[in-house]
Amino acid sequence: MSQFTQQIILGLLLGGIYVAVALGFSLVWGILNIVNLAHGALVIVGAYITWLLFDRLHVDPFLSLPVDALALFVLGYALQRGVINRVIRAPLLFTFLLTFGINLVIVSLVLLIFTADFRSVTPSYSGNGLHLGSVTIPYIRLGGLAVALLLAGILWAILNRTRIGAAILAVGADRDAAQLVGIDLRHIYALTFAIGAAFAGVAGGIISTSQSITPTAGDPYTLQSFAVVILGGLGRVSATVVGGLAFGLIEVLGQSAPGLGSGYAGAIAFVVLVIVLVVRPRGLLGRLA
Amino acid sequence: MIARERRLPRWLRRGGLPIGGLALAYLILAPLTSIDAAQQAGLPLLTDKLWFRIATTVAMFVVMASAWNIIGGLTGYASFGNVAFFGLGAYTVGVLVSSRGWPFALALVVAPLVAAVFAVLVGIPLLRLRGHYFAVATLGVGVAVGEVVNNIGPLGASTGLFLPIVRSDLLFFYLMLAAAILAVVTTWVILRTRFGYGLLAIRENEEAAAVIGVNTTFYKVAAFCIAAALTGLAGGIFAQWNSFINQENVFAITNNVQMILMAVVGGAGTVLGPVAGAVVLKLIIETLAGGGSAAVYSQIGLGVLLAICVIFIPRGVIDFFGGRSRLSLRYLRQTLRETSA
Repeated sequence: MSQFTQQIILGLLLGGIYVAVALGFSLVWGILNIVNLAHGALVIVGAYITWLLFDRLHVDPFLSLPVDALALFVLGYALQRGVINRVIRAPLLFTFLLTFGINLVIVSLVLLIFTADFRSVTPSYSGNGLHLGSVTIPYIRLGGLAVALLLAGILWAILNRTRIGAAILAVGADRDAAQLVGIDLRHIYALTFAIGAAFAGVAGGIISTSQSITPTAGDPYTLQSFAVVILGGLGRVSATVVGGLAFGLIEVLGQSAPGLGSGYAGAIAFVVLVIVLVVRPRGLLGRLA
Repeated sequence: MIARERRLPRWLRRGGLPIGGLALAYLILAPLTSIDAAQQAGLPLLTDKLWFRIATTVAMFVVMASAWNIIGGLTGYASFGNVAFFGLGAYTVGVLVSSRGWPFALALVVAPLVAAVFAVLVGIPLLRLRGHYFAVATLGVGVAVGEVVNNIGPLGASTGLFLPIVRSDLLFFYLMLAAAILAVVTTWVILRTRFGYGLLAIRENEEAAAVIGVNTTFYKVAAFCIAAALTGLAGGIFAQWNSFINQENVFAITNNVQMILMAVVGGAGTVLGPVAGAVVLKLIIETLAGGGSAAVYSQIGLGVLLAICVIFIPRGVIDFFGGRSRLSLRYLRQTLRETSA
C-alpha cells in the first residue's frame, strides 16, 4: 500500500514538471494557434542556463529561475517578432515546419556550445527528502511542483487581471476584431510567445534539477506537452494544471505496470493522446475545441 | 492541381518530356558503365561509390516524398508519422532476413504489406482528426513505434539488427529507382482516376466531398495505406542496402520532416513537385552534410533551409514554373504580405 502511495506522490511530483512545461506550450497554442515544435528546445536552453549558473557561479538552481525566464523571454520575443510572425497567417503545416526548423537550429547550437556531455545540477540538498512513515518526498521535486503551481497562478493572473492579458485573450478570441480595437497584433503575438518561452525556460530550470540534461533532452517534452494539453483541454490554465498532474500520474503508474519500463514514456504519452482524442476530444476540462 | 499542370509554359511542356526522358535514360544507363564488361570495352566510368550512395539516397527520398504527397499533398492530411511506415518496412525485412533466413526478395514483398496493414489500423482512428491534432498524433505514432521497437528483444532492442551484407551498388540503385518510378506513376494514376478526384475534394472541403458522395473515411484510409506501402517498400530496400538498422536510422523524425519539406518545396499536390523537391533538397543536404562535427552544421543548415523555404516560397517552386508567378522580388514581397502578421 505504501508502495502505491509512493507511486501516487511521485506521479504528482512528476506531474508538476509537466504542468510547468505545458503552460507555455498551451498559451502559445491557444492564442497564436501555433503548435510550437521548438518548445522542447526552449526548455533545454533554460536548463542549460541554470546549469551554467550553478556550475560556474554556484547559484542555487531555484534562484536562477528568474534569469531563465528573462533570457527566454527575450529570445522568445525576438523569435516571434523576427521569424514566426512572417508565417502566422500561412497554413498550419508551415508554422509546424518552421518551428521544427527553429528546434533543429537551437538544439544544434546548444550542442556546439555545451557539447553532448551529460550535465546535472546537484545542489547540496538534492538527495534529501521529507520522510513520512515509509513514504519519501524528495525536496527538490516538491520545490519543482511548488514552482509549477506558482507559474500557473502567475499565468492566470497575467491573463485575467492585467490589460496585457486582456489584449492577449482578445487576440486569441478574434485577431481581426482585436486589431480593430487598436491592439498591436505583432507586439501581442511576440509578447505571447515570449511569455510562453519564459515559462519554458523556468520549466527547463526545474528539469535540470531532477534529471541530467543533454542538448536533445528537451525534445520529448514537446510531444508530452501536447499530450498534457490534449488531456487537460485547451484554453484554460486550470485545465493545463489538471492535465499535467494527471499525465504525471499516468506515466508513473504506467511505467510500473508489469512488462513496461522507463523506455516506454513516449509510447504511453501517445496512447493517452489517442485515447483522449478519440474518446473526449476537448480534454478533461477544456472548452469546446 | 490538374488544371494547373496544363498551364505549364510551352517551352517546359515541349522540353519536359525529352529532358525528363534524357535524365531517366542517364539514370538507368550510367550505372551500367561500372560493370566490368563495360569497363573492358573502354566506356568512360560515369559512376563511383559516392555517386551510387547519393543517387540511391535521392531515389529513396523521391519515394518517401511522393508517398507523403499522396496523403499530405493530395488529401491534405499532413502526416508526421510516415517515418513509422519506413521503419516498419525496414524492420520487417530486417527480422525476416536476419532471424528467419528468408530470401531478401520475398521479405521485400512482405514489407509494404506490413506497413499498409499498420496504416489501416492507425489510420481509422487518426484520420478522424484534423489539422494540428492529426499532425501531432501521427508524430506520436512515429515516436511510439520507434520506442516500442527499441524495447523488444527479438527486434534487436537498442542494439539494432544486422543483415547479411549484399555488396551490389547496382542492385540497390535499380531497386530504389524502380520504387521511385512506381511512386511517381502511382501518383500520376491516382490523379487521373475517380479516387484521385475524391482525394482532392477531401482536401478542398471534406464536408462538401462527403455530401457529394465521396466515402471520405474509405478514401482517406486508402490514401494513407498506399502512402504507407510505398514508404514501407523504401524502408525494406534501405534495410538490406544499409545492412544495419536501428531506431535512430529508420525512425528518424528528421527524415519525416525532410520528406514533407521536399513535397512542399517542390509543390505539394503535383506529380513531379515532390520529385524535384527531393532531388534538389537531398543534393543540398548531402552537400552540407559530413561526418563528425560537420553533422551539427548540416542540422543547422537544414533548420535555416526550412525557415527560408517556409517563409519565402510557401507555394513551392513548381509555382514559379507553373506559369502562375515568377521568382522575383515582387513575388517574395507579396508572399510575405499574404502570410505575415
